[in-house]
Amino acid sequence: MRSFAYSRPATLAQAFKTLESGGSDCRLLAGGTDLIIRLRDGSLQPTIVVDVKRIPELRPVIREEAGRLTIGATTVMSEIAADERVRRHFVALAEAAAVVGAVQIRNRATLGGNICNASPAADTAPALLVYGAQVVAIGSAGSRRIPIRDFFVRSGETTLRRGELVMAIELPLPTQRTGSVHLRRTRRRGHDLASVTLACLVDAAGVTRLAFGSVGPRPVLAVDSSGVLADDAADDDAKGAVLEELFATASPSAGSMRASPEYRRAMLRVLGRRAVGIALDRLAGGGAPG
Amino acid sequence: MIGRVGASPQRVGGRGRVTGLQHYVADIRLPDILHAKLVTLDCARARIVSIDTSAAERVPGVRLVMTAADLPQPVPRFGPQFQDRPVLAVGETKYHGEPVAAVAADSRDAADEAARLVKVEYEELPAVFTIEGALDPAAPLVQDAALRPGDNLAATNVLREHLVGWGDVEATQADLVIEHTYEFPMVTHFAIEPHAFMAAPDGDGIAVWSSIQHPNWLQKVLADILGLPLAKVRVHAPDPGGAFGGKQHAKYEPLVALMALRADRPVRLVLTLEETFQAARRASAKIRVRTGFHSDGTFAFQDIAADYLIGAYADIADRVVGKGSYPGCGPYRVPAARITARSILSNTTPSTAFRGFGAPQVNWAVESNIDAGALALGIDRLELRLLNLARLGEAFIPFDTPADGHWEQVVRRAAELIGWGTPLPPGRGRGIAVGIKSGPTTGLSYATVRLLADGSVIVFAGTSDMGQGARTILAQIASDELGAPLDWVTVVMGDTAVVPYDQQTSASRSTVLMGNAVLDACRDIQSKVRAMAARLEGIDPSEIAVEHGVVLLPGREVPIVDVLKPGLGPLGGELIGNGEMRKEGDPGHPLGGSVAFFEFNCTAIEAEVDRETGDIVLVRHVTVSDVGKALNPLQVRMQDEGAAVMGLGHTLMEHYIFDGSGRIRNLGAIDYRIPTSMDLPLELLSDMVENEDGPGPYGSKGMSEGALLCVSAAVAGAVHEATGTVIRDLPLTPERVWRSLQEGGNG
Amino acid sequence: MTTIPIEVTVNGRSRSLRVAPQHTLLDVLRDDLALTGAKECCLVGECGACTVIVDGSTVDSCLMLGVEADGAVVTTIEGLATGGRLTPIQEAFLDEGGVQCGFCIPGQVISAHALLQASAHPTIAEIEEGMAGNLCRCGCYQQITQAILATAEAGRR
Repeated sequence: MRSFAYSRPATLAQAFKTLESGGSDCRLLAGGTDLIIRLRDGSLQPTIVVDVKRIPELRPVIREEAGRLTIGATTVMSEIAADERVRRHFVALAEAAAVVGAVQIRNRATLGGNICNASPAADTAPALLVYGAQVVAIGSAGSRRIPIRDFFVRSGETTLRRGELVMAIELPLPTQRTGSVHLRRTRRRGHDLASVTLACLVDAAGVTRLAFGSVGPRPVLAVDSSGVLADDAADDDAKGAVLEELFATASPSAGSMRASPEYRRAMLRVLGRRAVGIALDRLAGGGAPG
Repeated sequence: MIGRVGASPQRVGGRGRVTGLQHYVADIRLPDILHAKLVTLDCARARIVSIDTSAAERVPGVRLVMTAADLPQPVPRFGPQFQDRPVLAVGETKYHGEPVAAVAADSRDAADEAARLVKVEYEELPAVFTIEGALDPAAPLVQDAALRPGDNLAATNVLREHLVGWGDVEATQADLVIEHTYEFPMVTHFAIEPHAFMAAPDGDGIAVWSSIQHPNWLQKVLADILGLPLAKVRVHAPDPGGAFGGKQHAKYEPLVALMALRADRPVRLVLTLEETFQAARRASAKIRVRTGFHSDGTFAFQDIAADYLIGAYADIADRVVGKGSYPGCGPYRVPAARITARSILSNTTPSTAFRGFGAPQVNWAVESNIDAGALALGIDRLELRLLNLARLGEAFIPFDTPADGHWEQVVRRAAELIGWGTPLPPGRGRGIAVGIKSGPTTGLSYATVRLLADGSVIVFAGTSDMGQGARTILAQIASDELGAPLDWVTVVMGDTAVVPYDQQTSASRSTVLMGNAVLDACRDIQSKVRAMAARLEGIDPSEIAVEHGVVLLPGREVPIVDVLKPGLGPLGGELIGNGEMRKEGDPGHPLGGSVAFFEFNCTAIEAEVDRETGDIVLVRHVTVSDVGKALNPLQVRMQDEGAAVMGLGHTLMEHYIFDGSGRIRNLGAIDYRIPTSMDLPLELLSDMVENEDGPGPYGSKGMSEGALLCVSAAVAGAVHEATGTVIRDLPLTPERVWRSLQEGGNG
Repeated sequence: MTTIPIEVTVNGRSRSLRVAPQHTLLDVLRDDLALTGAKECCLVGECGACTVIVDGSTVDSCLMLGVEADGAVVTTIEGLATGGRLTPIQEAFLDEGGVQCGFCIPGQVISAHALLQASAHPTIAEIEEGMAGNLCRCGCYQQITQAILATAEAGRR
């Protein structure tokens, strides 16, 4: 690995100062499971690596307050997957966190890192999209909340401003019963990068939210407010037509070696239909409490 | 600890492996060592215009930057079959990853940085990396024709053509002829230990450490290149951390040795996993099979044309092609056969030996074609195989070793374990296939065994224990024969200055060849014990027998050690036994020697397919091998199940992916997928047939590759029965299965 | 080269050392502390040969910088057996045939040890999932699963 300087700010103020002076020569280090791979292969060559794990405001914590669940940016996947509150209210996020790499990766990879890396295949992104998460960003000018659907731009790029850090991710607690699920496609059963990753949420009012990644430059949310997908009585053709429309924006890359665009599109339909079915079953079985 | 053959004691050397104290090459620390790094170009083929090493040499800590110009001229070339591989690229790089230079520095960081700073000006040249591309009359030649004097194929990319056959295929009438073409992917060994090498000046010679399977062969290669007598080249070969054929032959040892001599310091080179993908792989293949059947299901003929895509340098690949295709007709009675096989050069990683040694490729094609014939004839796939299967003693390859096992027992056992013929749940299918591989055709192993004064034993054997468990088997033999508890036996391997010559560790030979050499050495000691006992008892040696650790005297038996101690007398000392096992070649034989034994396996699969996604769920995987005699039944299971899992890799997920100009896109572990613990069949069952009819100690046979041979055809057969779809390309990825189902799927 | 001082407890022993920022925990263990049990293979967090336990959780030490271990408690394969006695999981690997070439085994044993610490009686599915981050090319997965089950079973008695 090429050499670089290492900075471990103990406060937000120190971090901002480092980021300000280092500018684009800085890379933030949280879990490191993506960053260190890229430092080694040389695709990133920062002069300063800024380890954000000792900043108190970013610490790994999951807390319920004011109608929302707040997950600290450096909370690791294993903790999210195992957390009772996440599993009760946001099961698709727990399911997604549980398939990010193998256990050694999940013990290091953070939620903040996963979204800031902005990989189109990030497994937590679709779940965060269906749950309407907000990203709490903080910079020297103060903090702001970014709706997750406005967060991703393309691989490696988000709407974070220069010098801003992700402090936490907030999930509004559901106000009505919901059923949700995360599904994905991989090349083997053991841990793998997703060739399609998808989350679905159906609420008691009949609105279906589907979010999907790895089929375009960024993860996308699509909402069916017609009630057709959530309607047990609707026939397969009607549901299929709605799904087609929701998935119309998918634009899988032809250059990927992991799966062809045709296969990704086909699997999006298969996973979409299966996910709606599972989410409805979960809703019918009591679902997540409102 | 009882080590008798037939028992399954804990692995000898296992303790070091579970405590982290086992030292592989990369774990060995030599003082004052330099760290080496290869300089490569990110393209498949290039003309080297110039190399500027000045910036690299300025990096603090850099001691040596070596290019071809710094090597003896002409640049030494080496290879087990053809001496075609240069120590560093000369003028042109011929595959993605071929080194053009190497640096050595005090630290890894400095070596890495300097390697990045070696400035190579080059012109990318068109490359060939597919069979079609290589055979195109307009294709650039991979090898300089000057390297192939007198070779009438030198103006082509075909390195060699092999033809084996019997009977008259053209004149043979058949009621049904099935012809299809099958493809087998380019895959790599992916031993968890990347290749590692060290070299150090050693007095007036050199010492080399390598994770190599054939230390004696390497010793000869180095002696030739360095102009040293064998006695001045000491090869240390610590147990490899997995090899599977990929560590049989010299790779970068000559380079590292030359660097160490030039720097006059020890040098180490540890490859990255990515670099191992560029150092060793299995040949991909395209195989056309034309099978003639009589209407009763018996074979009329097999006509096989196999093209193997080998790399830019031959390594042992052409031998793989010739020997792997040789038993291509399988273990069957085939009245007429024609097998042609070509090794085709390409601008890709040099292909080499890999578990199965060229047989899995042809097996995939021929066994799948047999399924197609059975379907067309309306004959059960199992019955058709049993109908044609050679029985013990039948010369199924007319000029070779006759069938050397009760193979029908193996097939019937596999069929029983998979429940062949019993009703299947909807959406499921079964497949069955048999595999055969030729064992070693020549061999020479020496062993020395020392029975020490207290009855403990040291075995010296040049076999490499790369996981197959040779150390345990050899210790068990010595324990059994000399009556020492297993934990009183030490096995010394992997040092050419200490251990007597062994030709190689390959072709599942070690239990048979080295096993017999150790047995022979133990018998040598037994004869000395017998003489000792005769002297002590004052009787004629003919009245005494020594076997399985005991001395049989008239009317009583005593442990060997009870004779040894008084026999050695007050000065103590020891008894030394020497053993030897030879398998002579036969110049008139197509393989240069008859086959010492055949590995025989039957694999049966039950599978379910998700028709929407193409996912294959292996419900049950049965693998049964003819092992002659299991000297250690647990190790037999481990080898069989391990080979089965490895076979699932190339069957379901593994393959190199190239870009349009011949660069490997999926270098490394992220996009080259191998099976994990979650990719096992829901049930994996292994069993063995033992009739004590092998040429090894106690009737054993070699068995480490069989369970990999026919996995692909058995899985594809199950997928076919489950879905009706026929796929003739591997791997059977979900996408490929899905696509075949979409397209109607009958190939 | 700039180095950074760290304090780290490795296998119960506290160590003060200076590490280069770009060196991973794996580099530090192998090169600075001469603990070569953790192995170098894929270096991208796929194979698990470098698995160690940091503050109670298994990690791929190739994907963690050495400086990140400042203040941490690290257990490597060398830290399991004490006083020359193998732990039950190490014995079980040998008894059940979980070890062939052995190169992946330090990582496998560490993962198995941590799995059993987290769940005394795992199911086969939990074992296969929990061990999926440790590749074994010799294909001993079935035997390794058996070793974990046997250890759990022995613990129950």
